[in-house]
Amino acid sequence: MGGALYLEPRLGPRLGSLLESDHLLHTLADALGSPLGVVLPDQLAENVERFRSVYRGHHLAGQIFLAHKANRSSALLRRLAATGAGVDVASLGELQHALGCGFAPSLITATGPKDTRFLWLAARTGATVSLDSPAELDQLATLVRAHGLPRVQVLLRLSGFEGSGVKVLTRRSRFGTAVPELDAVLDTLERYADAVELTGVAYHLDTTSAAEKAVALEGCLLALEECRGRGLAPRAVDIGGGFGVNYLADRAQWERYTTELAQAVLGTRPPLTWGGHGYGLREDGGTLRGALGVYPAYRPVAGARYLDDLLSRPATAFGGRPLATLLLEHLYDLHTEPGRALLDQCGVTLARVLETRDVGSGPLWVRLAATAGDIGLEEHGILIDPVLLPREPREPGPTGEPGPPAGPGGPGGPVETYLFGSLCLESDLITRRTVHLPRRPAPGDLLAFVNTAGYCMDFHATQAQRQPVARKVAAWQDRAGWRWCLDEEYWPITPPGGQQ
Amino acid sequence: MRYDSITGAIGNTPLVRIDPAVHGLRHIDLYAKLELLNPFGSVKDRAAWHMARPQLAAAMAAGSQVVELSSGNTAKALAVIAGMHGLSFKSVTNRMRVPEIKDLLLLLGAEIEELPGQSECLDPTATDDPLTVFHRTLAASGSAYLHTDQYFNTRNTEAHITGTGPEIVKDLDGKAPDWFIACVGTAGSSTGVARVLREHDPGVRVVGLVAAKSDFIPGIRTLDEVHEVGLFDPDTYDTIESVSADEAIDGLLTLNRRCGIMAGPTGGAAYVGAVRHLRAYDEKLCDETACDENPGGEQPSEPGGARRTAVFIVCDRVESYLSYVRQRRPELLGRPRRKYSAADVSDAEALAAPSITVPDARAWIDREGPLVVDLRSPYAYAALHIDGSVNIVDELFEELVHGGLPFSRSRPVLLACPVGEKSARYAALLTRMGHPDIRSLEGGIIAWRDAGAPLVRD
Repeated sequence: MGGALYLEPRLGPRLGSLLESDHLLHTLADALGSPLGVVLPDQLAENVERFRSVYRGHHLAGQIFLAHKANRSSALLRRLAATGAGVDVASLGELQHALGCGFAPSLITATGPKDTRFLWLAARTGATVSLDSPAELDQLATLVRAHGLPRVQVLLRLSGFEGSGVKVLTRRSRFGTAVPELDAVLDTLERYADAVELTGVAYHLDTTSAAEKAVALEGCLLALEECRGRGLAPRAVDIGGGFGVNYLADRAQWERYTTELAQAVLGTRPPLTWGGHGYGLREDGGTLRGALGVYPAYRPVAGARYLDDLLSRPATAFGGRPLATLLLEHLYDLHTEPGRALLDQCGVTLARVLETRDVGSGPLWVRLAATAGDIGLEEHGILIDPVLLPREPREPGPTGEPGPPAGPGGPGGPVETYLFGSLCLESDLITRRTVHLPRRPAPGDLLAFVNTAGYCMDFHATQAQRQPVARKVAAWQDRAGWRWCLDEEYWPITPPGGQQ
Repeated sequence: MRYDSITGAIGNTPLVRIDPAVHGLRHIDLYAKLELLNPFGSVKDRAAWHMARPQLAAAMAAGSQVVELSSGNTAKALAVIAGMHGLSFKSVTNRMRVPEIKDLLLLLGAEIEELPGQSECLDPTATDDPLTVFHRTLAASGSAYLHTDQYFNTRNTEAHITGTGPEIVKDLDGKAPDWFIACVGTAGSSTGVARVLREHDPGVRVVGLVAAKSDFIPGIRTLDEVHEVGLFDPDTYDTIESVSADEAIDGLLTLNRRCGIMAGPTGGAAYVGAVRHLRAYDEKLCDETACDENPGGEQPSEPGGARRTAVFIVCDRVESYLSYVRQRRPELLGRPRRKYSAADVSDAEALAAPSITVPDARAWIDREGPLVVDLRSPYAYAALHIDGSVNIVDELFEELVHGGLPFSRSRPVLLACPVGEKSARYAALLTRMGHPDIRSLEGGIIAWRDAGAPLVRD
């Protein structure tokens, strides 16, 4: 099978080194069960620094807030607190967690739709509230007045921006105040001046398109000008996140895979998926219809580079000056809320192979001790291969080891597999695509799903069928090599716990 | 030639032989079909007119809007055709990456809608991909639109079956060429021409050119994207080869500089793809005929036999792609350096530039009243600035200093920018140019604000 279609994950030095420590990873999975999440707090600190260097390059002040919802880990949050970066929380539980992990309230932004308890704790502690709607503003001001709470710093989340010249279409958002309603909301804000202080405006668009975000950022600058014109003194723009991650090591593999997938849908090559699933594509009279609904897993401009690209874009309403220059010369701070991008290379999910089954001439069936919910990659449309960590090093030699039967490519060669989850449910597929592995897996082996820390580790995990949710450990390197502890035991002190 | 309407001038474009000294093929005559000479500037004039024409009367009666998914030439032609018939035109696209084309379409009165990008937090089960939504909108609104549907409309291909193809045969004295090479966009021109040529001579070899997968050449689809085109049929082509953006620009340069053909990157891609494909055959013919080593010299294809011919299409003109070229090959548009420019100031010079801290600057302003020049944009200046300052945005300031000192030497000047970086460069430059008392505000307007010094709005 010389034509194996790999989608090898991009591995940074830290994550790469961890995967080479396969003995440790097997020991961990033996002790703590499968599936198991491993997070790398030091990588998060490195990613924060990468974003900060983009700020420095544009001379911009402001703060980076991790979108907490991307991962529940305490270790990651505590390590982040030690860097001086902030956190963006979207629920009462996340706010409590952030406060407990050591974030000063000035470094916490409460976003998304909120209930009264969430608003009260944010106001009581002095976190910034990103207002989701005019109704939420009423609710917050009433709460502040009724309970004698301190004046709350608020950001106004906006949506429905319109560009000039070319109309840039954007998916409708459920969140934020529509730009045409800005005047009315500012009237209300002025009425509530005793209860809230407007510190800036915000947007968050769920799109990969930097052009759409540039229109929104430009719209925010115009909105801030409105605020200043009324005598308000806003200081910041919060541009949310959505900077993306490059998941794959090799552009050529991605291009070849997606081409072959389209050919499979057209029926000009054998299927590449369970049940001929097309990931959004379908065939219609020899023509490909629909759109490939997967994450653009090979993405050279992602994360901090994406932010840099966005900030360098020209603003048409401002004579084509770059957005970063405009932020700077208007004296605004820039706040960002990356989730996935800040957690790039920060984690891996391990799953044990329970059973392999040969089924005719088709792909090998591989059942894992994990559910699709434990490994959220497919749910997010991210197509990457897991890394196979054999239990025992197996040498394909002529010495005649009893080991694995020959796969389609002969002993030791690549095999096509279907990866099934552990639920008693037809649809519990770890991925619907045929995964090509460089050698045949055996029961007891581990599959390491790489780069799951952003949204793909615990976001969709459930306790269906009374199966336990994956445990999580934090791992870091010191001179002696890799060290680890349970996620909740981690504190950013060397050594963690500080006993010595 | 006299016409009653400009649309009469569509088609009947010249077929021009490329000088063998340029392409170096010894046994093959290479001809360029100059579609760039169509009145609205491209090969798409034919398809746009042919697709729109039968529906125009009804559209005018109903006051419909013409819509098309196009990022360039089809949109340009339709915008003009719609305008000529009193109709509005809307182009919907996610591929419009060349700013001049965008500006030109706006100039022609087109409305442009850019489709949204993919969702970052993806829902793989979503069925609202932008194109599906677009088609749903068209279907729902009944007759409100004239959708020309260039990727699926067979009249696109037909325009070339009745026009481009027969013209080539006629100009080659009733014979089809041995090779036909075309870039694949909507597949309309290549499919239509190929059909006509094969009817004349089933031996015609058709080469389709696509862009390399991660590359971008205006008007050409990538190997994957062609499968989304309804008119695309892989059987039309004997081979499909890919061309890179870099090669397209090389081809554009050759056609522009050496052949006097003002082709854009698509035509450049077709030329390079044609020569690259034909070279192997040319060498084989050379071996067979034992031709002498005379690169560029014309040789018969077979001993005593006829020469071979090949035709490629030059789709459109170069002028709209200057930013495309500048982005990829800036050295081609290099200009001589100016005499005075902030770019000439070294980092060491900027560090050594005369500067002044915020408290000292405030005292200096009170004491000597220097001219305070704010280098930020007018928008930022209008929002908040130092009282009494003058706004000259850095871009304009750069233009001013090219010509010499913009201030009298007797007038002290304080330069201010956001953080004191640009102002230091200009302070160094103006000092070098001979101004005796020019200073940069250390830390800029931000330091001024952070020190609690007053900023006003007029």
